[in-house]
Amino acid sequence: MQITNKDLRKKPDITGFLFILPAVLVLFLLLLYPVFTSVYYSFTSKHLVRPSYKFVGFDNYIKVLSDPNFYKAFMTNIKWTVYSLAGQLLVGFTAAMALHRIKKFKSFLRTILIIPWAFPSIVIALSWKWILNGVYGFVPIMLQKLGIVSEIPQFFSNPNLVFGTLVFVNIWFGSPLIMVNILSALQSVPEDQYEAAQIDGASAWQSFCSITVPHIRNVVGLLMVLRTIWIFNSFDIIFLLTGGGPANITTTLPIYAYNIGWGIKQLGRSSAITVLLLIFLLLVCALYFKLLNKWEKEFN
Amino acid sequence: MKKRVLKRGWFSATISYTYLSILGILAAFPLVWIILSAFKSKGEITAYPTRFFPKVFSLEYFDIVLNQLKFTGNIVNSIVIAGATTLIALTISALAAYGIVRFFPRFGKALTRVLITTYMFPPILLAVPYSILMGSLGLVNTRIGLIIMYLSFSVPYAIWLLVGFFKTVPIGIEEAARVDGANKFVVFYKIVLPIVAPGIVAVAIYTFINAWNEFLYALIMTNSRELMTVSVALKSLEGQEVLDWGTMMAASTMVVLPSVIFFMLIQKKIAGGLAAGSVK
Repeated sequence: MQITNKDLRKKPDITGFLFILPAVLVLFLLLLYPVFTSVYYSFTSKHLVRPSYKFVGFDNYIKVLSDPNFYKAFMTNIKWTVYSLAGQLLVGFTAAMALHRIKKFKSFLRTILIIPWAFPSIVIALSWKWILNGVYGFVPIMLQKLGIVSEIPQFFSNPNLVFGTLVFVNIWFGSPLIMVNILSALQSVPEDQYEAAQIDGASAWQSFCSITVPHIRNVVGLLMVLRTIWIFNSFDIIFLLTGGGPANITTTLPIYAYNIGWGIKQLGRSSAITVLLLIFLLLVCALYFKLLNKWEKEFN
Repeated sequence: MKKRVLKRGWFSATISYTYLSILGILAAFPLVWIILSAFKSKGEITAYPTRFFPKVFSLEYFDIVLNQLKFTGNIVNSIVIAGATTLIALTISALAAYGIVRFFPRFGKALTRVLITTYMFPPILLAVPYSILMGSLGLVNTRIGLIIMYLSFSVPYAIWLLVGFFKTVPIGIEEAARVDGANKFVVFYKIVLPIVAPGIVAVAIYTFINAWNEFLYALIMTNSRELMTVSVALKSLEGQEVLDWGTMMAASTMVVLPSVIFFMLIQKKIAGGLAAGSVK
């Protein structure tokens, strides 16, 4: 009896299904079910501590959508995402190009550069708070000693500096992931295409545009989708560095939702905020995928 | 020689090395500074002007962290929670990744979309239903509660990474075993798993690091000091009236060093897999 490729690959019988069953259960019980209950609670007066609650219709949504702080948090969130993403892409991309260019110490430099990726968010927060501390901080004291500033800058309490500080820390943390992914995409470009372009007398810029860009475009596109979502949703860095302050300058939607849910204990209203957040992200994602599909078609 | 000509322009080597060195210093500085600060003595850490290296390497702050704050208990919590999460997540994900590659290849493309969608759920969105659910199950302030919550992000991510590794297993090897009469699970366990073992180890370490590093779920689910994970215990140090930076840096060193070292060991296997596995 001979078992062909076809038997092994194409016949999804019951045993095959058993392999993916646990993962499907996790997906339904731990991801889809909670999201649906979240939608359900967004229509109730659910409180963090009190057990009884009732159905309130669109009350939570009306409250949220008529709160000026919601719009403020939304705009802060957009600003936070755009600046962080642009910075991470710029640093990640240029670092990948530079790493791709060199030969000696490549592996060493790469290893050093990915250090931030492994940092727990609480240590990111504590280390930068310490480095930028307004009394003992290494950087502020250095800046003062070098005569760049006359007074020690307060990176976390000065309203003019705090947002930039947060974005800087986020770029520091997020660039390595972008860098290694773009680097591996760069390495997948066949060398002979460059050789051919070279023989045809193409300039470095020309071969970059016509060979490199099409090859890495999909990876960069997907990275942008994932990073946008990730940054938009990110809670830890802001919560741990500023808690949304001073005076709500750095409050993004996840922080706002946390404050409503765990600060004033209105879980129902907090759910409404997170559902709105998800709807917005779904829209952004749909748009991105449309764009990616278009790129893919153009490329092929 | 050929290569050098081809890659000319763009970034000259000198500019590349200079740029990468600056970035390298920025990337490594917080780690270096945490460690150096942790080894300073009580008077020295807040001395002005700041010295870069400690005058004497003192273990004062480590002593406080371990003996006064009983941080060891938090470390044990984190190891147990991250370890159990890794074990369960890897079992589920390895089965699923293999199942997808071998039996449901078409499902693969759809799966990427599903995974990106789950990636899109803000942790804060899941935090609300989780805290209600765990409350009604009586799992608030328990390790089991956190392990269950951690599976929600570990499993999709691990499947994503593992699918790439399972794709490299040649089907011919499996066919031979099947001819000998082994069933699917035996083939998977005895033949496929050993081949992808290095990949599985890398994904396991990555899963462990992510669970070890997690903060938000641990924050909303724990309110007793003994049950805190390292992240939340570190955060609680910051809540004290007099900020003790030396203690915080010593504790930070103990939390961040394992993450960084293990991540360095596996980065080549993990990095790139993210985008490469999903675009194809």
